[in-house]
Amino acid sequence: MKMTPKAVIIGSVLMLATIVFVVVYIPWANRIQTPSEIHRTRSEIEAEGRKIYIANGCVYCHSQSIRTIDWGKGAERIAQAGDYVADQPILLGSQRTGPDLSQQGGEHPDDWHKAHFINPRYTSPNSIMPRFEYLGEEGIATLTAYVQSLGMKDADKRVARQAYWKEKVIAAYEAGPEANVKWLNEQVPQGWRDLPNPYPTTPAALARGRKIYQDFCLGCHSAVGDGMGPAQPYIYPPPFNFTILHGREISGGIIYYHLMNGITGSAMPYFKKDLESEKIWEVGDYIAVYFINDSDANTEPRGIDAAYEPVEEE
Amino acid sequence: MMMATFMGLLGATELIAPDLSGNLSWIVFGRVRPIHVNLVLFGFVTPGLLGAAFYFLPRLLDTDLYSEGLGRVSVIVWNLILVCIVLSLAAGYSQGREYAEMIWPVDMLIVIVFTLIFFNFIMTVAQRREPLLYVSVWYACAAIVLTGLTYCLGNVIWRPDSGALVGIPDAILLWFYGHNIFGLLLTPLSLGVAYYVIPRVCRSPLYSHTLSLVGFWSLILVYTHIGTHHLLQVPVPTWLKVIATVDSVGMVIPVMVVLINLWYTAKGRLGEIHADIGGKFVFTGTILYFFVSIQGSMMALPQVQRITHFNNWVIAHSHVGVLGFAGMIALGGIYYILPRAVGKPLYSRYLADFQYWLVLIGVVGFTVVLTIAGLIQGNAWFNGETIYRVLPEIHMYYIVRASLGLIIFVAAVLGFYNIVRTIFGRPAETVVVEGSPTRELLAGSESGLAHQESGLAHQEVAS
Repeated sequence: MKMTPKAVIIGSVLMLATIVFVVVYIPWANRIQTPSEIHRTRSEIEAEGRKIYIANGCVYCHSQSIRTIDWGKGAERIAQAGDYVADQPILLGSQRTGPDLSQQGGEHPDDWHKAHFINPRYTSPNSIMPRFEYLGEEGIATLTAYVQSLGMKDADKRVARQAYWKEKVIAAYEAGPEANVKWLNEQVPQGWRDLPNPYPTTPAALARGRKIYQDFCLGCHSAVGDGMGPAQPYIYPPPFNFTILHGREISGGIIYYHLMNGITGSAMPYFKKDLESEKIWEVGDYIAVYFINDSDANTEPRGIDAAYEPVEEE
Repeated sequence: MMMATFMGLLGATELIAPDLSGNLSWIVFGRVRPIHVNLVLFGFVTPGLLGAAFYFLPRLLDTDLYSEGLGRVSVIVWNLILVCIVLSLAAGYSQGREYAEMIWPVDMLIVIVFTLIFFNFIMTVAQRREPLLYVSVWYACAAIVLTGLTYCLGNVIWRPDSGALVGIPDAILLWFYGHNIFGLLLTPLSLGVAYYVIPRVCRSPLYSHTLSLVGFWSLILVYTHIGTHHLLQVPVPTWLKVIATVDSVGMVIPVMVVLINLWYTAKGRLGEIHADIGGKFVFTGTILYFFVSIQGSMMALPQVQRITHFNNWVIAHSHVGVLGFAGMIALGGIYYILPRAVGKPLYSRYLADFQYWLVLIGVVGFTVVLTIAGLIQGNAWFNGETIYRVLPEIHMYYIVRASLGLIIFVAAVLGFYNIVRTIFGRPAETVVVEGSPTRELLAGSESGLAHQESGLAHQEVAS
């Protein structure tokens, strides 16, 4: 084949045109334009927040694309083409340096986001996300509005749920410590309330619990468990002070339940996706031993002795 | 080169010390990363390779560059673009699409500069005294025209506000374009340089004209189909995913054809390559091209992507591709051409060698640590661990990665110093004036000369 300038230029351009037709035009012509069942239009402030999201490159660390193989937050809904019909540009992302945000709306209340944007380490001590304090009060509020809209109609339901419970947790907090603890205990199903921590307190378990506490809890509840962590000024009701719980009938089951499910409405997230069962029991016992000074670990009812437990001297 | 690698180092450091950016919006990771990527692509690798093309085109065509003035204007506009890229992205003016972040005015400048360069190239071709077109000429011309076109398309320049389509087609177009930055810009320009430098350094003719042809056309045919392999886990049409996966595996053909051609040309002459610093960089680039391409084909398999997608594995892959393959060849092109273009000997061969090893250690080290980090992330996620839980597990690898980034940055500084000292150094005592090497290059190439002149199909004969 003789390669003339015409052959090179015209040939390659024709090839490109043909391929563009196949791999770009045909998918575009056959695109799905029907919105999915969770789709809704963004409000003005949410659209503004999306611009902040783009301008600050959030897309480089956060995907918005849930796959069939995902487990994390938002993984209950696998992405559909109809979810993206209004996205211009689409913000699927190519990296998960941070979590996927497809269904982030309503996972946390607004005050958690505020503390988190001011310094992500305040709420999530291991986070490597940069600080966004420079966005200012208004910028953070606008960006939060966008984040709270992620998941669209599903997000709206979760946001409404946060608002519903926020009223109740504020009322309970403002009724004073006694009433607050009572209310919080009452929210836990009876079976859990009666359940002591089934595992014994050991130095190894406490050391592991301490590690989990540092990785997850420190930012709000502080190193001494008094609820005066760095996130405290931004959060209402403020993070719980564990040191008031002594003698208030806090079972291992109650602590476990709150760690597992979180306290919707307050900034307390659920940890069932981050932590497996043993880790939740151990961080719970760490809190009970060090901050409450009242652990029911390994007390009756215990049932059959677990094979791996240290044998106690009779 | 220095700015680009520094931005990479800054970004890598921010992943270890996230409070580093403090309250400064313009150095926040989300802005540093696109500056790094675009500076590497448009500030270091592409101009390095284009500089080589501006050198070898007139020589291969036995003529002068159509217009030196136009070339100078292109360089000035190009540098203006780089300043605009840094300032606009640092200030938060971004269209939010990876590799297509630049706002519309910058897009327009880029289209204009590509047009200028294309015009200069094609007019140089038109006034050539050597009727035969050597393979490097095909690659350089095709790269400029095809990238000019895909740039317009990929940046949706008919929509200045958003620079984007709507919904899933936007993702398809974006990755068609994004992958073609490698497939239609960096790869053909790099191969053009490799096709020029390797036979010249070896002082041997090109191995096969037929392989050149197959490699050139199959690159354009296959590479352009594979962008959707970035979207295998996204609701895009299945047939498109099938095309992307099949063609990604099919990339073995254009890659191996070119490499066989280049490596057979260099067969038995590695001593000559090792003796020439430019040749050394370029040849190493071709080896890394092999690795990055084979890895790329493998990564397009859905089963592999379940683990590798969304994590540092991909970052490792992109660094081997852009720095290890295209970047190495760009550096090789610079070192081969610079002394000849300015008529002065290289300031320090030792420094260039030192830079070579720093870059090689840096990029190989990057690949190792980021691949490990990616495997940790991918397997942990697949196993149900949350992203937050995995962060401490990869922290150590981020530290090693930033250290390697420092090595690469130091290499860039040394290279810059070497180049500046060469340009402002003492002229060589004898200036070698070279004639057009096209005939020489095609002389033995399995009778490529006769092949092209007669225009007849030619049967490949294994030698």
